[in-house]
Amino acid sequence: MARQFAPKGINFVFLYTREAHPGENYPAHRSFEQKLAHARAFKAEFNVERPILVDDLTGTAHKLYGSLPNMTYLISRGGRVLFRADWTDPPTIEYAINYVLNSRARRREGLRLAPFYAELVGYRWNEPVEFQKGLARAGQQAVDDFDRAMKQRLKQGPRPGRIELPE
Amino acid sequence: MTHRTQIEDYNYSVFVGSEEFMAFRTLLPVGSSAADFEAKLLETGQRVQFSDYWKKGDVLIEFGSLT
Repeated sequence: MARQFAPKGINFVFLYTREAHPGENYPAHRSFEQKLAHARAFKAEFNVERPILVDDLTGTAHKLYGSLPNMTYLISRGGRVLFRADWTDPPTIEYAINYVLNSRARRREGLRLAPFYAELVGYRWNEPVEFQKGLARAGQQAVDDFDRAMKQRLKQGPRPGRIELPE
Repeated sequence: MTHRTQIEDYNYSVFVGSEEFMAFRTLLPVGSSAADFEAKLLETGQRVQFSDYWKKGDVLIEFGSLT
């Protein structure tokens, strides 16, 4: 997607944060060198071509944007938030970028378009098998911690801020 | 809070699922000014400002980690 939108002036970057699911293989960061090593492993594992920015050890940048494990923001040239999501989902991102590009094109064609505030519910692909593989990559501790957290969540009920809708 | 405590508080050792999804909704809503920060570019080791990217064009930034 980064290659697809680069000619249209969209730069894709990745900010490396804390480990969301620390485990024996990739434990919680205790030094910046360790964080850099994890970021290099991430780049190699997923063949990441985008520039990877590594946040500091206390998560300064991550906290400024909400501290969630897998967020996405689209920032305009000049620094305004155009789109954001609490979960990264490629079709949703593609939709948002195309919407922005199309709106600009319509403006250039002379349509009088005024910006307004909008929200939507996103629908992301949910792949439990792939997710479990990711946890296993981190180590058995990550698998066990996630299982324990999900059992606890079932007892506590819906979490504030999480979208849950019937089919 | 000491620097060491800040590091251990942010980089938790055990996932418990305490993410603040509700707090996210009121932080940096669409239309607001993005927050600038400094980070290290993995490929070169250089310190960079995030704003350098949005000065050149639109930026799609994803947050995450290997795990």
